[in-house]
Amino acid sequence: MEVMILMKDQVAKLYDELSGEYNFFAPVKEKGYVAYRKISNPKEIELNYFNSKIPPKEILFPQMEVLFEFKTDGKNVIEIEDRKDLDEKNILFGIRPCDAHSFDLLEKFFAFGDFQDEIFLKKRENSLIIGIGCNSPKSTCFCTSVEGHPFQKDDMDIFLVDLGDKYLVEGISDKGNNLIQQLSWLSKASKADTIKAKELAKKAEDLITTKLDLTNTSQILESNFGNEIWKEVSENCLGCGSCTFLCPTCTCFDVIDENDQYENRGRRIRIWDTCQFCLYTLHTSGHNPRDNNIERCRNRILHKFSYYPLNYDLIGCVGCGRCIQVCPVNNDLRTIINKINNIKPKEEENVSV
Amino acid sequence: MSNPYIPMLTTVKNIVSENKVNDIKTLELEFKKEEDYNKFNYIPGQFAEISLIGKGECPIGIASSPTEEGSIQFTIKKMGTVTSEFQNCNIGDVVGVRGPFGNGWPIEEMKGKDIVVIGGGFAFSTLRSLVIYLLNEKHRKDYKKITVIYGNRDSGEVLYRNVLEEWKKYDDIEVVLTIDREEEEWKEKVGFVAPIVKEVGPSSNNAVAVVCGPPIMIKTTIAVLEDLNFNDEQILNSLEMRMKCGIGKCGRCNIGNKFVCIDGPVFSLAELKKLPNEY
Repeated sequence: MEVMILMKDQVAKLYDELSGEYNFFAPVKEKGYVAYRKISNPKEIELNYFNSKIPPKEILFPQMEVLFEFKTDGKNVIEIEDRKDLDEKNILFGIRPCDAHSFDLLEKFFAFGDFQDEIFLKKRENSLIIGIGCNSPKSTCFCTSVEGHPFQKDDMDIFLVDLGDKYLVEGISDKGNNLIQQLSWLSKASKADTIKAKELAKKAEDLITTKLDLTNTSQILESNFGNEIWKEVSENCLGCGSCTFLCPTCTCFDVIDENDQYENRGRRIRIWDTCQFCLYTLHTSGHNPRDNNIERCRNRILHKFSYYPLNYDLIGCVGCGRCIQVCPVNNDLRTIINKINNIKPKEEENVSV
Repeated sequence: MSNPYIPMLTTVKNIVSENKVNDIKTLELEFKKEEDYNKFNYIPGQFAEISLIGKGECPIGIASSPTEEGSIQFTIKKMGTVTSEFQNCNIGDVVGVRGPFGNGWPIEEMKGKDIVVIGGGFAFSTLRSLVIYLLNEKHRKDYKKITVIYGNRDSGEVLYRNVLEEWKKYDDIEVVLTIDREEEEWKEKVGFVAPIVKEVGPSSNNAVAVVCGPPIMIKTTIAVLEDLNFNDEQILNSLEMRMKCGIGKCGRCNIGNKFVCIDGPVFSLAELKKLPNEY
């Protein structure tokens, strides 16, 4: 497939051409932050941004989502209505490589086991990701330590590189290549353009200074459930849950029923939940398997760096750094990983009941 | 692929108040659509997510046995929001059911063995399912001696009294009932479950012990079973955990990398010893 060029002033044209067939999601400015939103005017698109505060997982797994709707006769349900919007096609424009990789993790998680989450998986199947490389990663970025790269394109359908006043456009998947063919007005990239893109990739990689070695982390975690390190790690945690709510790979949710006040109808919804909250695991009997901060902080780390590798053979972290940026007490995941890696074998304890 | 969060609809066919305090009820549910009933293939020990749509959903063990055809039963104690709502159910009300979920009792591996069923309090529901299944004429020959030891705080808390009376009429099952303190007119055993298990002294030879109840009962009973030479593979537990989805997605019922909803709720003691102590 040939590499093409999209001029930045042609993004509106791209939107106009695709917005009939697709819901077009793109980065926009919202309350001082960048967020991925379904846009209705290409002028809303923010092209100069680092990344969104809330990860774009919210497009396919929103903070609040209807599972189904129902009608009642005042007491009993008389009709259940399934979601009807899952076949709509989506373009996800301007997704960063770390977040694009998170979609791959989310897909594997929601498809795992005997029960598939149709709601997520159908939306994922009907979405086309136009991702973009990161020319200037921030100090909190560590994608290269978790099998990623600021120019990683595997998890995208189309990959863009910001060349100043234009984008280099590369088709990655069949879906992406077909779409590029549809856009006959794209011009061809020159050799100089592709060389510049390569230079930018190298420069971006060099900008990521954090280097974590995760080779043995999962193994160390398996035998250090009872280690003293967890006290240290959780000591100043406030349990606010921000790290999990803004994590592109966190998937936990609560389920509740909502009823309309004046009409005999309602909906069962799921809303994001977090393992950092005490209520998350509290039994009705009052018993709580993860009653304190130590256990809850440990669960977050183990889920991403031990349970994910054990269950899905993947690291449950994409190195976006949001949890580091947002933590009100500056708990840094990279420091925690280094502490784990430094646990000396003699300190290792066996898991005991 | 279909939306796994949409429940099948059933109607309440019968309601039985199970205890003197009247906070435990058994609901018998009939599926509205026959195809839903036919799809609901379960084994003892599995659970379902049942809901009063508009009020909420909760995971409850299936109290009926698949051999009791035509309907399914759930025994619900008033505990939280949804289970409290269930106490106000009337015959004819609509109940949503998703499931069956979880692994259930390993009825295949239990074949050819003595089965020791030990229950405490209202955790007896999936044990009711198991014993009725084992006693069914189609299955009885597959299993050897059946011993049931069932303990409660007081006589008013004993669930499934009619079924227990019936079991006592069988000559191929030993049923031992106990309550914590002596009461007038109580002719069965008195004492906690663990010492009664010791007194009954089931043989561990080619046997499986199935234990359900409050944590302290489980702990003390396991110690007795170990004294009786039951090994970790021969002791089975069914765990409870806060759950929302029942299908391994909502996250909260994990013990280490296992989910109670899809990897359990039944675990052998050997399996539990490999997991972190977080349940």
